[in-house]
Amino acid sequence: MLYIELFLQGVLQGSIYALIAVGLTLVYGLLRILHVAHAGLYTLGGYFSVLAFNSTGSLALSAVVAMLGVGVLGVILYRLCYEPILDQPPFVPLIASIGLFIAMEELYRILFGSYGVSYTHPPLQQMLPVAGLYLKVGEWVTLLASMVLIGGLAWLSGKTRLGLAWRATVTDPQMAESFGIDPIRVRHLNFFIGSALAGVAGMIVGILNNLVEPTMGSVPSYKALAIIVLGGLGSVRGTLVAALALGVVESYGTIYLGDLLSRDAIAFVFLILVLMVRPQGMFRRV
Amino acid sequence: MKLKLFFSFITAMALTIGVVWADSVKIGFNVPLTGFAAADGESALNGAKLAVKQANDAGGINGKQIELVVYDDQASPKEALPIANRLIEKDGVKVAVSGSYSGSTRAAAGVFQAASIPYISAYAVHPDITRSGKYVFRTSFMGEVQGRAGALLIGQTMQHKRVVVITLKNDFGKSLAAGFKAEAVNFGIEVLNEYEYSIKDRQFGPIVAKVRSDNPDAIYASGYFFTAGPLVSQLRSGGVSAPVIGQEGYDGQQFIKIAGPAAEGVLITTSLDRDSTDPEARTFITEYEKFSGHKVDMVSASTHTAIKVVVAALRKAGASDPDAIREAIANTSLKAATGDISFNQLGEVRKNVQVQIVKGGSWHYHSEIRDRVLLAPPES
Repeated sequence: MLYIELFLQGVLQGSIYALIAVGLTLVYGLLRILHVAHAGLYTLGGYFSVLAFNSTGSLALSAVVAMLGVGVLGVILYRLCYEPILDQPPFVPLIASIGLFIAMEELYRILFGSYGVSYTHPPLQQMLPVAGLYLKVGEWVTLLASMVLIGGLAWLSGKTRLGLAWRATVTDPQMAESFGIDPIRVRHLNFFIGSALAGVAGMIVGILNNLVEPTMGSVPSYKALAIIVLGGLGSVRGTLVAALALGVVESYGTIYLGDLLSRDAIAFVFLILVLMVRPQGMFRRV
Repeated sequence: MKLKLFFSFITAMALTIGVVWADSVKIGFNVPLTGFAAADGESALNGAKLAVKQANDAGGINGKQIELVVYDDQASPKEALPIANRLIEKDGVKVAVSGSYSGSTRAAAGVFQAASIPYISAYAVHPDITRSGKYVFRTSFMGEVQGRAGALLIGQTMQHKRVVVITLKNDFGKSLAAGFKAEAVNFGIEVLNEYEYSIKDRQFGPIVAKVRSDNPDAIYASGYFFTAGPLVSQLRSGGVSAPVIGQEGYDGQQFIKIAGPAAEGVLITTSLDRDSTDPEARTFITEYEKFSGHKVDMVSASTHTAIKVVVAALRKAGASDPDAIREAIANTSLKAATGDISFNQLGEVRKNVQVQIVKGGSWHYHSEIRDRVLLAPPES
């Protein structure tokens, strides 16, 4: 039973990683930018949600605020910070992104305080044992929500004209443009969706921990990078598998390797081992 | 005309020199104001500022005002080193206090020791800090000492024998766990399992699942409010009902805010008794809340105590000779918000351990550990 529970805990952690990393891989696939500041948007999702919930008491409203607010800010961030430097070599946007992330952390500290913000009446905290598996309501909701959101994303990219335009732009931007697809709109959409998913992840983690702190994004900022490398840079399917695999490895590792390695170290050892066997990542076509 | 110019020149000179003469007494202060430890840094800074304000209102140091020279060390050793040098070389401080964590305090302690400038660690727990030399002191408990107090609390006071240890993997958590495990045997405690986590972890699902299957009588868990809050709340919502015993890292209203109802009944070993009737503690508690707008916590109380020790030493020894100041600190005997303060040979504080419990959403008195043999810090 313990093994099943640890597996479930791993899947839970993995689905949170997936929500964060998908946005990162979307941005990389389209623009070849390593978008470190993505983790800052994730933190912002936590803040939007906790502030909206504490002032209105509505979980649905706070979810909408987190998704739309962070989505829109993601687009604005692209317009202001990345668009002007797209023609520079890749390290320029990378450095801009790292600087932006640090600035965001300190901005949150100044705006919302260094102690962090908690839900005054934390929602979804009751325990709901299903078939002997002890998870709280919030954790079941997390599993469900990430399946729905990522399923929705798959449907959007596979079954709609919008998705077709997006995939065409990723494969060959110039050709796509000559067929009448507006690449600017595709980029905006890309940032909106990726950021909105990160916003949801921030909201979920804020509720599960009942704590939103300025530095909440520091671990995801590099772990999500590890995940998209593991998944084969730019591959959405690879990212999902890598995120879940990492969650499960960490879950078992915390219990059985915890004396030797910390959770982060386990993650990176796993990354190194996989890259030794498959240098192109788990799912990248060679 | 020339004479007039001359006089105004002299007046201007006198004024300038006057300003220099009336120069303040500086106390160096490194504290994490940005980065992951910024919350504790804010409490430490407020505690220190309050102590300085109180001392200045009471006449300063022989008529001179005290000035706190503050630098942000981000709780990082690589920041703390240049800050220590800057405080000594550029600011010319003759005494300094650390309002920071163990890593940065250890790094700075070596610099202050080498320059023969007295340095007090307000709440950093690592044993090597005071071992830097005779100029370094500590006004809070060493990790080991507090770990031993935790073993007494669980094994003797509460009579729980099957214990799981959850350890924060840094200087703080490891020295607590070392003290706890060393003393556990003497109180008949069996440590079923020990799990470690990193300071960045907030999600403890796997550990909670494992602890539930271990089914312990009690859990000894080290951490700070921002890790312990989520941990305790996840233990409770994960169906673990064994009592949780923590330490001063939990000590603050933030822990209760984060853990919510799950915080009820959590016990900690710490320095400050909220229900104390002692006037020192009472004054501190009311004035701190007025001054900072926050409830008191261990960090603010310990930093307030450290500055108070420095002020008392400066009043006794004057503000110019670091050796005289060191001597005065070593012979400290005063009442502070965290108890009666005196130091041993190594510069470690001797005081009682307060046990606090969460009741009705705030910290309250549970018991006091007065066993001076158990609580004796090492002499070298």
